[in-house]
Amino acid sequence: MTPNSPDVAIAITGIGSVSPYGPIAGLIPPCPLEPSAITAWTSAGLRRAFLVKPFRPASVVPGLKTRRLDRLSVWALVASSLAIKDAAIDLSQIDRSRVAVVFATAFGCVDLTEAFYLSAAANGWSGTDPSTFPETLASAPASHVSLFHGLRGPNITVSNKAFAGESALIQAASLLRHGQADLAVVLAGDALTQTVYEWYEAAGLLAPACYNSDPLPEGGGFMPSEGITALVLEPVGRREARSDARSYARSYARLHSGRWAAGGQPVEIIRQMLGGSVPNLTICTGDGAPCATSPTTALAREIAGDGAVIIPPQAVAAGLAGTGALFHLILALSGRPKSGQALLLGTSSGTTSRTSLGTSSGTAGDRGFAALLLELP
Amino acid sequence: MTDIHKTIVVTGVGVVSPYGIGLDSLQAGMLAGTSCLAPTKDLYPGFEGTTAQVEARGLALLAEGSSSRYSRTDRLAAVAAQDAVANSGCDSSTFRESGVVMANTVGGLTEIDTGIAQDPAAWFRRRGGLLRGASYPFAHVADAVGEHLGIRGPRCAISVACASGAMAIALTANLLLDGAAPIILAGGSDALCPFTLSGFNSLQALDPAPCCPFDQNRKGLNLGEGSAVLVLETLAGATARKANVLAVLRGWAMTNDAFHPTAPQQQGSGLADCMRLSMEMAGVSGDEIGYVNAHGTGTPLNDIAEAHAYETAFRRRHRPIPVSSTKSYFGHCLGAAGALEAAITIMAIRSGALLPTLRLTDPIESPGVDWLRGEVKRQPLPLAMSVSAGFGGSNTVLIFGSGPA
Repeated sequence: MTPNSPDVAIAITGIGSVSPYGPIAGLIPPCPLEPSAITAWTSAGLRRAFLVKPFRPASVVPGLKTRRLDRLSVWALVASSLAIKDAAIDLSQIDRSRVAVVFATAFGCVDLTEAFYLSAAANGWSGTDPSTFPETLASAPASHVSLFHGLRGPNITVSNKAFAGESALIQAASLLRHGQADLAVVLAGDALTQTVYEWYEAAGLLAPACYNSDPLPEGGGFMPSEGITALVLEPVGRREARSDARSYARSYARLHSGRWAAGGQPVEIIRQMLGGSVPNLTICTGDGAPCATSPTTALAREIAGDGAVIIPPQAVAAGLAGTGALFHLILALSGRPKSGQALLLGTSSGTTSRTSLGTSSGTAGDRGFAALLLELP
Repeated sequence: MTDIHKTIVVTGVGVVSPYGIGLDSLQAGMLAGTSCLAPTKDLYPGFEGTTAQVEARGLALLAEGSSSRYSRTDRLAAVAAQDAVANSGCDSSTFRESGVVMANTVGGLTEIDTGIAQDPAAWFRRRGGLLRGASYPFAHVADAVGEHLGIRGPRCAISVACASGAMAIALTANLLLDGAAPIILAGGSDALCPFTLSGFNSLQALDPAPCCPFDQNRKGLNLGEGSAVLVLETLAGATARKANVLAVLRGWAMTNDAFHPTAPQQQGSGLADCMRLSMEMAGVSGDEIGYVNAHGTGTPLNDIAEAHAYETAFRRRHRPIPVSSTKSYFGHCLGAAGALEAAITIMAIRSGALLPTLRLTDPIESPGVDWLRGEVKRQPLPLAMSVSAGFGGSNTVLIFGSGPA
């Protein structure tokens, strides 16, 4: 993934997601999506966001028990199950001590963290609920994925102000390339709560369309969303060698290289990643800003000129920017880019960061960025 | 033959502990057998227990002016990182392109009270509420370190409960091998706060008195706070800039028990696998490991599972493996624990001083383990292991050596 990586090609062989589109295995059928009015908490006026509609987890993953779990843990269990199914993996046929789980989140299990605070407010800190506390940990969703599927390889929860999904993918690929796992389930996601929404609101980050029924405009804030994405990563060739694989071998994309930094010169670094040429480049922006104003779009135009294909417009139209770069990647793949193309997933924090917490990092003139270059089979 | 491009070395260690700032104060306090664990009453109404705290005056670094931007966890991390940079003998300009990988579990919960969940809008309108809320995500600690030192390489935060600090170091080693950055500051930080104290108290995991890891009569853990940051790079990079190599990270491994949300697998099988994998990576046998700095929390479930893990992992060893828990000195620092214990393991290698477990009078019966207690044991220590485990079954093992293979 980075300059000194051992030469092991990594492929995405399975996809699962729980998003405002619902729980889905594989690519997401393109369809328009409207934001929902938030009814879960008292509000003086209309407030909208892209929300995951409630569903019964056991109806998607038979036998799944999710009582007392945070929503994020529940979604992680469902999305990971869908991705494993999509990759046609029979877990009983593989060495599960060689399967890693890498999970990225900005806020972690905020539902139950808030519930724990509420129990402390009601009963005092001496009267909190012992069953809630372990479920407030940011690593709880990844732990439940390992526990449910019996995955005994490395189990990692990472975060990064703007590039959590990308850094999770890079860390997972690193585990595979260094032989520390044979297969990795990579997850990225967050849930939206009243507290998170109120913070966005107090920070002045929300689009006017959050408060009325107008269509989403370009620029001027964003509309929050929630959900989780799961990808199965495998070294190329391993899927074909698996005894449990179906008769066909599918690879959504191959990871070519990845870089991220809190500052620097992303144009130059991305040009280096591309090796000096940009044939058939498709660019997927992971920023929280709409496409036209996205710093990554500006970067893309600097690199590839007006010939670059910039997607996924449907993600921007659907306002799914906040859910994470890996969701954008799925949407980009769902857009059926042409075979043989290179796909650049880029996120820049120079002017707008996806999670938007704190001030932008790096010294003046620097732009934090993450870039993943993928090859489409 | 050593491949200097694939050998990961430690060229700086920074520490903030209840003993103060710096590895020297930690070493002096621990060698003197001083316990920092003390009765505590003021952390929340109704709490009476034992903790180990860092004196606030040591955290002045980020406290003035912009204090509300940085949580106590952030400040612990920034002070430790600055100490690591100073300890490495370089000025911060050397680190401009470096990476930061910081672990924590508490993050900005130290700055948040119950009012946030009752009326978040009002809470954010309070003075500093917006910035205090912004320090909540655990990624903020990595940003605090990066921003404080003005470094702009890749940043990442790790949170895997009590194995976090060690895992940050293991993942950093992978990133260095990948060439993600020339130098990476890696470690962990966590501060005491009502949220975690209340949580562990509700689980009845706290010993109200100073803890007794690996003792038959152990009753639970004590919480502490602190931070440790290592400067990690390849031997090739360290040699090129004539850096002082403090230790070599010879092996690292990560596994998961996949057993229970909070309890370890009773036979310690996941942890034993992790030890085996780390020794395989280091290319060493159990006989070559001279000391293990244990996870050793003092809880009934952890310590017995860990003892079983040592019996399994070192079953071919000819002599009992020397093991101690340094949590008996200043408690369990959660996301910082693995990094602090890595620093203590490096300290042991460099000084040849094997610290005993304090208050260990009646050890768990485990014939394959030499439970260190009483006096400090002194012997040459070419290789030592640091073991970490956490809620959710995460395990990480690091092997440090005095030199390359």
